[in-house]
Amino acid sequence: MKKLLDQSLRPLVIYTLIILIVSIPAYFLTIDWIWENELDKHHYAIREKLEKRLTSLDLPDNAVSDMISVLNKVQPGFSFTEAVAPSADSSYTLIRFDTFMNDREQFRCLMTDIRVNGTLFRVLIETNMEEIDETILAIAAVTIFFFILLLGGFVYINRKTSLRVWRPFYDSLASLQAFRLEGGKTEALPVSQVAEFADLNKSLTRLMEASLASYKQQKEFTENASHELQTPLAIVKSKLDLLLQSRVLDQSQMQILEDAYQAINRVTRINKNLLLLAKIEQAQFDEQQSISIHGLLNELSPQFTDRFESSDIRFTQQVGEMTLQANPMLLEILLTNLLVNALRYTPAGGEVSVYAGHRKLIFANTGISPLDERNLFRRFAQASPEHAGTGLGLAIVREICERYNWQISYDFDCGHHHFTVSF
Amino acid sequence: MKILIIEDEPELAADIGAYLSAQDYLCEYAGTWAQAREKVELYRYECILLDLMLPGGDGLDILDILKAQGQQDGVIIISAKNDYETKIRGLHAGADDYLAKPFHLPELAARIYSVIRRRSFGNQNNIVQNELKVDLSSRVVTVNGSLVSLTRKELDLLLFFISNKNRVIGKSALAEHLSGDIADMFDNHDFVYAHVKNLKKKLTEAGYGNYLKTIYATGYKWEG
Repeated sequence: MKKLLDQSLRPLVIYTLIILIVSIPAYFLTIDWIWENELDKHHYAIREKLEKRLTSLDLPDNAVSDMISVLNKVQPGFSFTEAVAPSADSSYTLIRFDTFMNDREQFRCLMTDIRVNGTLFRVLIETNMEEIDETILAIAAVTIFFFILLLGGFVYINRKTSLRVWRPFYDSLASLQAFRLEGGKTEALPVSQVAEFADLNKSLTRLMEASLASYKQQKEFTENASHELQTPLAIVKSKLDLLLQSRVLDQSQMQILEDAYQAINRVTRINKNLLLLAKIEQAQFDEQQSISIHGLLNELSPQFTDRFESSDIRFTQQVGEMTLQANPMLLEILLTNLLVNALRYTPAGGEVSVYAGHRKLIFANTGISPLDERNLFRRFAQASPEHAGTGLGLAIVREICERYNWQISYDFDCGHHHFTVSF
Repeated sequence: MKILIIEDEPELAADIGAYLSAQDYLCEYAGTWAQAREKVELYRYECILLDLMLPGGDGLDILDILKAQGQQDGVIIISAKNDYETKIRGLHAGADDYLAKPFHLPELAARIYSVIRRRSFGNQNNIVQNELKVDLSSRVVTVNGSLVSLTRKELDLLLFFISNKNRVIGKSALAEHLSGDIADMFDNHDFVYAHVKNLKKKLTEAGYGNYLKTIYATGYKWEG
């Protein structure tokens, strides 16, 4: 994932690099042009001086040719030859090996005519100048130096200013990350003097408030709906109890009544569990005390003895002393639901075992094939099609575990389902 | 014996009344808080069934009125609120029992029976039906003077049947009575059979009047 601050830096760096690279030939051409211009001017000045001085000496012809041959030999950068006819001046640049410097050198040259005592001489004036490649190299080195300087400066300034400019954004982001719908309250966003950030924070606060309101409404709806259902359920139940008293019922009608009882019990159970879930989510049951798992299981398991016996299921407990800090009601619901779950899905003749120790609680029961783990703890998602539970028992278990940051996991091994709670 | 049913849902109140009236109970009704207050101030009842959410007020206030008057009426709260706190508050305020809606009518009848027994008979608490005698304080059952040894659950069942005399009781009401809150987590109530069968066998062996009848394999009735 790219970082916001790097995003703004990158194009800046690329742009600078391009400009600096383009600047290298530009610098070179400029410098070269100035060089040549300046040297050419200088050469013409020398030519003028030479011609004027030689003429003003007013020497005889043979003295002039002596003087010129001396100059040819002694003065560097000059060479005189006698010319028959005048020809045009030419200025050019030339790179050649210089015996004196003992190296390849670049020269700026002017080939021109001067006339002394009526004799026409062709003069070559040369000036050693910096070689083209060395110039470019020097310019490039300076450019790279400045580029590095710029880059360092950009990174530093970007860090300093951008970080300061974007600080409110990062603060808001951190606050948002801490926001939990279940928490029931909005996160306070930092106050910003910058209009955009103030707007952003205002919108975010509004959004959080709206989410919270609809979340609350949804939970209240569940709770209210469950509450409102209690009375009609009570009426149906009592009507069935009364109908059972009728003297004209025959066996098949009794069976219908029995089925109706089963259905109404199931609705009652779902309703009760929905109400319970709503309450757990609303963070009720916040009172905590230290509870012994061993003691609680011993209290609970006798209620199940009948069921185990009538379904021919062997029940074993291997529970070490372990105490937990939790709400007693919630812990009881957790254990009950896991026990009921194990009991309900164990085939006749199977076994259910509870193990507690090493900060772990494991409910194991005989099973045929692994259950679909994805659906296991979701509401109304039956992991196995054969048995119809309320579809809420394990959802409640997960909700309770989440409340206390316990881990609930499922695995299937050696023909046994294992539900493990790690504290 | 007079029972006051304080319940704002007339259908439910009528059903409770219909079920109870077959058992020597005389039922009166109050559908609002004001009616309830008037009744408890004017008349005495063996047992009051009290709904907590009433039009015009909180049912718990009725308990305070009873307490202020020094009345000894038995009170069973019947409420849709099934949370621990409300239950505790109700019992602290002086209620004898708490039954969460929805409930089975036989369960309610058994609770009423037990409250009235406790309140009216104190220690001399015997149920006698011809040759059958149940001593509630020592939890001893005798038939023709000879002891019948029953498990805790069997005795519980026997009392449940007796408190619902001449009424047909369905299997799910029995299961709920025997295993309380966890009963509705199961669809299969076969374990009820085993207990009823054992109870019937023990009583029959002791020679009781064969009062417990099975109705079409799904319900039971205690005749008397």
